[in-house]
Amino acid sequence: MGGEPPIPRGSITCGRATMIVEQASRGGAKFWETGAGKSFASNWAAYFLVLMLIVFGFTGANFLSVTNFQNVIHLQTVPLLLAAAETFVIITGGIDLSVGFVMGLASVGAASLMQIFVAAALPVGWTIGLATAIVLIASVVPGFVSGIVITRFKVPPFIATMGMWGIANGVALKISQGFPMAGLPDKLTSIGNGYLLYVLPGQFVSAFAKPDYFPDSRIRELWRLVPFSLPFIIVAISVLSFALKRGRFGRHTYAIGGNVDAAIRSGISVDRHLVKVYVLSSFLAGLGGVFNVFQTGIGNYTTFNAQYEFFAVAAVVIGGASLMGGKGRIWSSAIGVLVLAFLENGLSISGVQPFYRYIAVGVLLVLAVVIDKLFPDIR
Amino acid sequence: MRSSKSSTAKALTSALSGRWVPVFILLEIVYFCFRSEGFANPNSLQILLFYGVQVFLVATAELFVIITGGIDLSVGYVLGFATVISIKLVAKMMAIGISPPAALLLATIATLAIGVVPGLVNGALVAYLKVPPFIATFSMLGVCHGISELIINGVSAVGLPKLASDIGLGYIFYIVPGSRSSFFVKPEVPRGTAVLQILPNIVIITFVVVALFAFVLARTKFGRHVYALGGNMDAAIRSGIPVKRRILGVYAISSFLASLAGIVYAFMYVSGKADAGAGLLLDAIAAVVIGGASMFGGSGTVWRTMLGALVIAVLDLGLRMSGIPTFDEFILVGVILIFAVVMDRYMQEAS
Repeated sequence: MGGEPPIPRGSITCGRATMIVEQASRGGAKFWETGAGKSFASNWAAYFLVLMLIVFGFTGANFLSVTNFQNVIHLQTVPLLLAAAETFVIITGGIDLSVGFVMGLASVGAASLMQIFVAAALPVGWTIGLATAIVLIASVVPGFVSGIVITRFKVPPFIATMGMWGIANGVALKISQGFPMAGLPDKLTSIGNGYLLYVLPGQFVSAFAKPDYFPDSRIRELWRLVPFSLPFIIVAISVLSFALKRGRFGRHTYAIGGNVDAAIRSGISVDRHLVKVYVLSSFLAGLGGVFNVFQTGIGNYTTFNAQYEFFAVAAVVIGGASLMGGKGRIWSSAIGVLVLAFLENGLSISGVQPFYRYIAVGVLLVLAVVIDKLFPDIR
Repeated sequence: MRSSKSSTAKALTSALSGRWVPVFILLEIVYFCFRSEGFANPNSLQILLFYGVQVFLVATAELFVIITGGIDLSVGYVLGFATVISIKLVAKMMAIGISPPAALLLATIATLAIGVVPGLVNGALVAYLKVPPFIATFSMLGVCHGISELIINGVSAVGLPKLASDIGLGYIFYIVPGSRSSFFVKPEVPRGTAVLQILPNIVIITFVVVALFAFVLARTKFGRHVYALGGNMDAAIRSGIPVKRRILGVYAISSFLASLAGIVYAFMYVSGKADAGAGLLLDAIAAVVIGGASMFGGSGTVWRTMLGALVIAVLDLGLRMSGIPTFDEFILVGVILIFAVVMDRYMQEAS
């Protein structure tokens, strides 16, 4: 009674909106064709990250704190490495599903070597250094095998790296017998979880380690600033980003992903380069595995539920790369990782059940692709 | 000399072309017969089919999607989702006084209906929003994982009536040698009397369903369309195939079969977990690829996918019965997966 029935009004609004869109497109400049639109489209993940930080800043107590940010970055070191690895592979138009399990393999491999060295009564420095070096060198092997299988035998990357997924998982489980591997030097975690600065306001500033006289029980009173993992990951990402953006290696990577035929014609030895890309990916996964040992002090095999590889691909896609290849940036992928990380962190600090995170990631991913479709030709 | 040798090799490859999988299965069986005493027993066949049902169902699901040139990463967690909701539904229904048989039946139907939903969403994302299948189905994987974990809240879903495990672990025929036989119900016999158990219920259910979908793929218009759009999307669109609806249907089928595998899991193991099918993705894709389907779409049959799944099922049981840790299975499946593609490529070039 009184007032107009709601349905026609809805349809009128709808029609008007369509008209406005049509006018805009007739006028030439759609939003996503303007400079601002393009900048938004290629950096939406960054804007989204900022928006998320603001929202969670209101909903979660202590979300906006140095401690929390340091923790998030520290815990995301491995995912950041894996996403960087995946970025190279995805730019070539491939995919590397094995990164998560290669990482786990490197972790248990390093741990088992250290166990052997500890049993052989090697000094701590040698134990850690030697095991790290051997594992980092050996970690190129899975990538080399995948690369050869992909280029020489023309096996699709999805299948080749999925095979490596199974192989790396099986070997890691065999080494660890399905248990975390303990009994490693304590020194590991004091390096892996150490900070550059330990400050007790008004009393002392200490670099690299807390003063010996300060009791462990009061460690929460200290300001612990800049975890070692922060400079480590910043350097790693900067180097990789530089290699991709400025180096010949990066140029070839984009060229292969953009148009293989053109790449071949311009004299790039595509097969060799692809092998190198998979080797790099596997090396970075190995680096992640070694870091994992330093961080946790034990060797961890990767569980199915962890889904490192899928989250790495998700981060790369949120960062704006296309699974068709030819597109992607290391720093954008890093932002993709942070979006996923702060989503989880912020939700849990705001008291949301952790399982909503899986759902939120799903929604975000689809959103990423849809935005990518709306703004087709940006790099 | 040389030419005759190469012609023998050629004859061998062309004889093996497309048929290396059965030979491989035979080799596996022979190996495991020598390796473990228990394996050389006709009953092994039933047992490996019994423990392979999830792989058979999920591989069929994956085949439909792979023929269209897509991939469904969500099958394992749709399976887990189905185990959780079927058990919770049965428990809820029995709590309000519905009898166990009716509760099981209703919950099964309801779970299958709910289980199609993830597939419909996947299909809509892929067909209408042009989201790459990898991303769409990975998102759905997360959503299904999240929802099932929310429902069970960290513990396994339990509470199925005994009837469920009677069905899930039961056989169709029971024969007490020399005295009597019965259908479905295990005869009451004194302890220690041998009872021949023939045809596990769930194996029959599984293969009836798989045969049904094999028929759909091979003999119906829907099946022809699926191959057509996987082979050449543009041609399929031009020839008037409702491509988007077909893609929607394919992902719905995939999700339906994964849910069925989940319900079967619930009946077999009488518990539901969000990650019940987490390791199945590798097995399912391996089965499809070993069965000769191309990841680029357009080829593959249910029959050959079943052979591929059999490779894995034989390996699984053989390794278990030989006392080799299951860790080796991951390695072997990975190697066989790569080997299968290399083999097919080699055969193609040879012929």
